[in-house]
Amino acid sequence: MGLPPVVAGLFVYVLFTHYGPFGSLNLLFTVNVMVIAQVLLITPIVVALTSSFIEGSSKPVIETAEGLGFSKFKTAALCISEGRASLFSVVLTAFGRSIAEVGAVSIVGGNIQWKTRVMTTAIMLETNKGNFSFALALGIILLLIAFIVNAVASLAVKEPKHD
Amino acid sequence: MIEIQDLKKIYGERTVLSIPSLRFENGSSTVLAGANGSGKTTLIKILAGTLKATDGNLTLPQKTRYLPQQSYAFRGNLIKNITLAGADENTALHLLETMELAHLKEKKASSLSGGELQRLALCRVLAQKCDLLLLDEPTSACDAKGTEIVLNAVKAYRAENDCTLIMSTHSPLLATAGGERLIILGDGEIAADGEPKEVLTHPESDWAKSFITGWKI
Ligand SMILES: Nc1ncnc2c1ncn2[C@@H]1O[C@H](COP(=O)(O)OP(=O)(O)OP(=O)(O)O)[C@@H](O)[C@H]1O
Ligand SMILES: [Mg+2]
Repeated sequence: MGLPPVVAGLFVYVLFTHYGPFGSLNLLFTVNVMVIAQVLLITPIVVALTSSFIEGSSKPVIETAEGLGFSKFKTAALCISEGRASLFSVVLTAFGRSIAEVGAVSIVGGNIQWKTRVMTTAIMLETNKGNFSFALALGIILLLIAFIVNAVASLAVKEPKHD
Repeated sequence: MIEIQDLKKIYGERTVLSIPSLRFENGSSTVLAGANGSGKTTLIKILAGTLKATDGNLTLPQKTRYLPQQSYAFRGNLIKNITLAGADENTALHLLETMELAHLKEKKASSLSGGELQRLALCRVLAQKCDLLLLDEPTSACDAKGTEIVLNAVKAYRAENDCTLIMSTHSPLLATAGGERLIILGDGEIAADGEPKEVLTHPESDWAKSFITGWKI
């Protein structure tokens, strides 16, 4: 499940390099191509997790909905709303993978200051330069962002204990 | 009318259901009995359209409501569970009253006991009119009183709606009082078929006989 990030980055790089099939779009070393690489990396994970969730826990929902004569659309909507906690954790996993990404985004983005440098690539660069305290500070901020997003999300999906 | 011809359900090498010919008249009520694994759920699912038969011809009515063997609680309280199935709030409340669940109406459905949840699931299935009502062991989680409540609720619904009823059960009460016809399945085949009293006193096959004596009525 999921591609090795560096390989995915290399693949996107080849596609968007000057002589590549999409070279004329001039996207290499821009934020746009970083997004494309991230989508390529994350989509298989989201698809695999979502489909294993649907296969695992949506069976009784689907059967109950079909027994009540619900349309395909209403059944699908019901599966999403019934399984929203699991689907949320899929989204969080995807988010976690994305903000932790280094290899692919540095290959296609080029780590250009103020343009395509992100927190992870900045941490790598500053560590290599010996600026440990700066790298550490960035690391703590990144951790805090991840923690806050996770905390807010899990509060949002939590069902009230009593009605 | 519901008509089944040369129906077969095969998993791998195993034939779990084989019915050469079977008819259900409009407005009739039939109970399916038979040991675990005899094919009751398989037959009901095929009639409900949630399972594809391996072979055979089916004539089915327009609108079917089907209660799965496993009850499922949708998010939200009991009222919401029923309105989701297409009833307005008054109908939902009325259904909860007939199923003696009205005192729990604001509770979350996921907090119900097994027997309560099963009766809620039945409320949902009865939320709208239908031509064919398929109930797969509607009282498997109910105690004696719950079984009677379910039986009466189904009778009241049919008195108003005049639908065809097919339900499976292991309950002697439902088998004798639940329908005007009793079919006993054994290893995927019809072992006995007739009026409940007749089937229970004169089982047509050894298989049905051995099954019925287990009930000790
Ligand atoms: N997906 C499947 N794959 C293989 N065999 C199956 C499958 N589903 C059901 N069966 C088999 O078909 C047979 C009939 O199952 P069915 O669920 O119809 O029995 P039942 O009469 O409803 O039993 P119970 O009283 O336990 O509910 C069983 O032996 C079961 O193992
Ligand atoms: Mg069954």
